[in-house]
Amino acid sequence: MALTVDKASKSFPGVRALKDASLELRSGEVHALMGENGAGKSTLIKIITGVHRPDGGRLLLDGQDVLFASPRDAIRLGISAVHQERNLIPRFSVAENILLENLPRRTGLVDYARANAEAKKYLEMIGLVVDTRTEVRHLSVAQMQMVEIAKALSHEAKVLLLDEPTASLTGEEADALFALVQRLKAQGAAILFVSHKLEEVLAISDRVTVLRDGETTLIGEPMANMTRGRLIEAMIGRAERIAVVRPPKAATGAVKLEASGVATAAGHRDISFTVRRGEILGLYGLVGAGRTELARALVGKDKLSGGTLSIDGKPAVIRSVEEALKRHRIGYLSEDRKYEGVVLLHPIRFNVAMTIWDRLARFLGFQTAAGERRATEPFARQLEIRTPSLEQSVGNLSGGNQQKVSLAKWLAAKVDLLIIDEPTVGIDIKTKAYIHELIGKLADDGLAILLISSELPEMVALADRILVMHEFRIVDGFDNDRSYEAMSRKVMGAIHRRSDEAVAVE
Amino acid sequence: MTSALDAEPRPSSASAMDPAPRRTLTSLLLRGSTQAGLFVILVVLWVVFANLAPGFLSKFNLNSLLRSVAVDIVVGFAQMVVLATGGMNLSVGAIGVCAVMFSGYLMQVLGLPIPVAIAGTLALGALLGWLNGFAIVKTGVNSFVVTLASASLFSGGMLILTKAVPLNGLPAEFGAFGKSAVGPAIGSMPAIPSLAVVALAIGLGLYVLFKHSTLGRQILAVGANARAAEMSGIPVDRTIVFVHALSGALAAAAALMLTARLAAAMPAVAGDDWLLPSFLAPVIGGTALSGGIVSVVGTILGALLVSTIRSGLLVLEIGNFWLPLFLGAFLLAAILVERGRAAYVAREQARRA
Amino acid sequence: MGAFFRLQWSGILVGIIAGGIALALSAPAFLSEFNLFVLLRSICVSLLVAYAQMVMLGVGQMNLSVGALGGLVAVVTGGLMDALGVPTLPAIMIGVAAGGAAGFVNGWLTVRTGINGFIVTLATASAFAGINLGITKAVPFYNLPADFVAFGNGRVGLFPLLLIVPLLVTVVLALFFARAVPGRHMLAVGGNAPAAQLSGVSVPRAIISAHVLSGLLAAVAGVLAVAQLGSAQPTIGSDWLLISFAAPIIGGASLAGGAISIVGTLLAVVLIGLIQNAMVLVKVDPYWVQFLLGALILAAVWFNRYRAIKVGEI
Repeated sequence: MALTVDKASKSFPGVRALKDASLELRSGEVHALMGENGAGKSTLIKIITGVHRPDGGRLLLDGQDVLFASPRDAIRLGISAVHQERNLIPRFSVAENILLENLPRRTGLVDYARANAEAKKYLEMIGLVVDTRTEVRHLSVAQMQMVEIAKALSHEAKVLLLDEPTASLTGEEADALFALVQRLKAQGAAILFVSHKLEEVLAISDRVTVLRDGETTLIGEPMANMTRGRLIEAMIGRAERIAVVRPPKAATGAVKLEASGVATAAGHRDISFTVRRGEILGLYGLVGAGRTELARALVGKDKLSGGTLSIDGKPAVIRSVEEALKRHRIGYLSEDRKYEGVVLLHPIRFNVAMTIWDRLARFLGFQTAAGERRATEPFARQLEIRTPSLEQSVGNLSGGNQQKVSLAKWLAAKVDLLIIDEPTVGIDIKTKAYIHELIGKLADDGLAILLISSELPEMVALADRILVMHEFRIVDGFDNDRSYEAMSRKVMGAIHRRSDEAVAVE
Repeated sequence: MTSALDAEPRPSSASAMDPAPRRTLTSLLLRGSTQAGLFVILVVLWVVFANLAPGFLSKFNLNSLLRSVAVDIVVGFAQMVVLATGGMNLSVGAIGVCAVMFSGYLMQVLGLPIPVAIAGTLALGALLGWLNGFAIVKTGVNSFVVTLASASLFSGGMLILTKAVPLNGLPAEFGAFGKSAVGPAIGSMPAIPSLAVVALAIGLGLYVLFKHSTLGRQILAVGANARAAEMSGIPVDRTIVFVHALSGALAAAAALMLTARLAAAMPAVAGDDWLLPSFLAPVIGGTALSGGIVSVVGTILGALLVSTIRSGLLVLEIGNFWLPLFLGAFLLAAILVERGRAAYVAREQARRA
Repeated sequence: MGAFFRLQWSGILVGIIAGGIALALSAPAFLSEFNLFVLLRSICVSLLVAYAQMVMLGVGQMNLSVGALGGLVAVVTGGLMDALGVPTLPAIMIGVAAGGAAGFVNGWLTVRTGINGFIVTLATASAFAGINLGITKAVPFYNLPADFVAFGNGRVGLFPLLLIVPLLVTVVLALFFARAVPGRHMLAVGGNAPAAQLSGVSVPRAIISAHVLSGLLAAVAGVLAVAQLGSAQPTIGSDWLLISFAAPIIGGASLAGGAISIVGTLLAVVLIGLIQNAMVLVKVDPYWVQFLLGALILAAVWFNRYRAIKVGEI
């Protein structure tokens, strides 16, 4: 069976997610779909699986136009997907989750004996050993991922879409998955493999399609013709490769934050480092290494279970984000822009002023919209937030502008230390470059910055020093000499020394 | 005002984008706010009722309408402030009956001066509301469940203590205030009842709270996105406890107004009867159940609409009995019309963009 | 003991047994056949009301119109028998069907208009109550068939005949949610609606089905209430709201949806019935029932959280 997407487009309020994107998937192949975060991969998958309807373009199955009203239609025609979001029913058993829409029944009632036997068959196919009667809420994240794959298999899918399937798997589990993919391919399935891990893609795919800013820059190129360089170029574009924006600099400012032997309930052990004013300290690590969890503990969102913090040379305990901001002048720019960064419902001025309402308040807490506008306008202008007015709801802005609003909020707060978590995920290239430049400038103005990122080029371009986090520990740290190749070797070396996992990183 | 924060683009920028807007009445109505739409519906209803039943515009009917709507408005406010944070308070009525009986106890049994009794009653309401907020924040249990349980606790406790015996010997001045009016009567228009003035004053206070204060902004931020609010250093838990205390105080204020109107403290006057009106007024008026958007003006208009329908149907002698059917149907119709209007505006904007 | 503690309803069962023993010791009348009959009969309507709400919590929604719907069905059934002289069985069937239809209206409005189910059922509750009052003008229907009223008061030993209905419903519901595909799909939608949708389960259909089922259950509760009272009172259902939520929640249901317990709900209704019975036996102010019910909900919610933390579910 062949699946073709012909010039599909899709817009969401404030964002153009896909523009004339095309894809051609044949049976018996593993087809990679690549692109940076926010390039439109998930949107394309959701169009293929009937979750979203495209605004324009066509979807063809064996040359026939098809239109999916719901995921059910796609499943009926043999298209199944393993999405990034956890799509299991927590209180249902493994077997029932796998067979949910197709439960075997006898005299009208669910036949659990047969369901368990059938589910077991699919679990054996993927080599997962769990009792099919276990409720999935008791499984590990990796096991849940495998159950989702088993679920897709149960649909007898002829087209299988795997959206970042290895994100939460260990090396061994990932290898088992790749072996399974090869077996399915041999049986004639068409497999769309979505990933931004180059090594994986190079290893298992036959052809590749690349998305950049919602457009397809490569369509079905045979992998044999590809090199790392060409893939990266297609994904991020040569001209837009991150320029080194910050010359190497030795940190001389006063120490703002010193962590010694910090431990958390999330699993951190023995985390020690210092951040100085005017310095960008990079915290690099793979997804799931524990970087965001550390940041949350540092700003008082989660509790420390051990170790001490010292701020401006004095011992400190941070009990809440409010305290971090008001007493210790520490801010955290969340990676989760939509849920933790901005309030979509409210205007720009409201969002930017959120951290400074206390300061804006006059007698008895009174303040006005005009006061907010006056106080926030310089920051909106400084960050070049594109909007007709500060009264615009943040929900109507593009992702890049939303991120600028989120940043403006912390600039307005005039914190001494800003923890910046994945600042450029899902943001267009131009805004990305702008944000990089801004982060550099802020450090030059004396702000202490802890930069969390899983994009090594970003790290190499910005950080003065790089700490490498792996499995909730800091495994290495070194000065950044601005050479991507050298840093890449050091970072990978640090991670590989700690585990034998096959870690593939751009 | 569209919401406490007028989030719409400035008119000037809108007309700059659209040099020749069609200024037909329908397009104006469709583009206006929920509150403007409500106002038009109200005017139409008043014209219809006035024509069908001359008694509707009588001094007596208008006076009783305004006195009862005043209480409904404040009951609506008591729910609105909690809705603003995305929560609910099912114990508005229970706090109301507790406050009714407590005010009677303070004035009749203890013989306290009226201002002291009023202050004490408001404090009790705030305390009961605070207990709600405290339980919600400390246990992490949904506000629906907590206030459902506390409603039962509060009204049960009140009935145990009072044995459901009404207090009829309130100070005469208190009942007199409930009947008094401000300003002169003009023609067939009655003077404005003092209770309506109180409701408007409370409305003004809430308007200032949401539009011009730090606390109001914190409430709206928590309601729109509690996680983002917390990560921006806003004390989410304290804000939630505050709105519940405020809700309790507002329920107590409504209870005092009701007691003054009836000139007696009766245990059966609020309770379950307040549940529907407390949601009707704010929700018809454009306050979102999901939190983050409130409208003080909308709540006032929503309460007026409900009272107008009730009063009109009574004057038309359609009968008390069918009234709840009309109220329920009207609530759904009002929300549906508003949704249609909002969808139309969104489509128009998308087409022009 | 550990395994017992893991069961969500373990605390309620302990409460029932302890309460029963304490009552038997302090009030000998408790164990009399007639008292037990009264206790069991009081449970019948409450149980169906609780199930009517439990079904909605299962699919992750609420139905504030449970009481108004049950009251409407009560007067419709009573009116058919009294005013129109319809025989017992057809009248009941029409009444229950009307309940299902009213439930369908709730579900259809929720799904089609996208308005929050809370507001929809708050509005329809008012509408149903209005129809009820419009039909009856607040005057009950008294003139009901003798066989029907006899069924409402009949008993075999300490077991009321009425009990047959809720017991039957309990078995059917248990089977429905444990083994029937539509029941499993409702719980799947309540547990994780987007996931259910991606797996090809129709979310609107599950929600509408749950509303219809809730309406049917409330309707049966209304008919039973008429049989028990011997007249179709327009006030039937006006005090159901609290118990409809209290029992499933005490029984361990989550407002977030997808987690309900039929055994838990059943035991919670028994416990509440026991408390009401105890108040009468020890001649305490009946207002204490309301107070204790509120306290019980809070205690149960707190206990469930504590248990979940202990067992490691949170």
